[in-house]
Amino acid sequence: MTSSFNPKKESILDLQKFLGKEICVKFTGGREVQGILKGYDQLVNITLDQTQEFIRDAEDPLITTDEKRFLGLVVCRGSSVMMVCPTEGCEPIDNPY
Amino acid sequence: MLPLSLLRTGQGHQIMVELKNGETYNGLLVNCDNWMNINLKNVIRTSKDSDKFWKIQSCYIRGNTIKYISVPDEIIDLVAEEEQTLRTTYQQRNDSNRGRGRGDGFAGRGRGDASGRGRGDNSYRGGRGGGNNNSGGGDSSPAGRGRGEYRGSSRGGRGDFRGSSRGGRGGNNNSTA
Repeated sequence: MTSSFNPKKESILDLQKFLGKEICVKFTGGREVQGILKGYDQLVNITLDQTQEFIRDAEDPLITTDEKRFLGLVVCRGSSVMMVCPTEGCEPIDNPY
Repeated sequence: MLPLSLLRTGQGHQIMVELKNGETYNGLLVNCDNWMNINLKNVIRTSKDSDKFWKIQSCYIRGNTIKYISVPDEIIDLVAEEEQTLRTTYQQRNDSNRGRGRGDGFAGRGRGDASGRGRGDNSYRGGRGGGNNNSGGGDSSPAGRGRGEYRGSSRGGRGDFRGSSRGGRGGNNNSTA
């Protein structure tokens, strides 16, 4: 399941260092999930395990709530991946400006 | 001034990215590519309504979701400097390629001038002519007839055997063998 080969370094993003760690992925359309990175390729197609999706606000689909739903093992298509970041070191803060 | 050149020069600088969904990401540009995919570190993410903020250690943003990128003013000066440096380097490289071409013969050395005429000294083979090594040199055989050799994009002319140990003269660039 884990990415045993090293994908060609075409992407500026080196996901190798996040393998086995929890990452947060935002998709075009507003969905946001987090899960453990199990594999990836140079198109940034991503395999996540123990994945949870953040349920969005019924009023505004771009706003996520604290409510979650469990998805399990998923494959995220690279073309719809909007943003990738590790959940470690990602925290809400007060207005810094 | 090309947009991607500007962005590339901005590596290591603080930039602000607004996405199509209205969110903004403010951080240090680590890397970018030809699709405008970008890598940021020490990021502050702001929600669409500017009411929620997150601190993110590092993040990757796909280029086609970006609405615009705000870069600091000093990058413009850096780009101008970089372009000037590249222009100078390119000019120097061009200058060094001009002038007399040289070609080795079997026994001696052949010389070619910029008009495309090759001349071989003490050898069977004439030199390559032309500043950009495209023009043809004459190649003289022991039998006394010279054949023009194909050099890059131009053909050498026919060379005559001059003396017992001199190479033939190549024709002009445009002549056919």
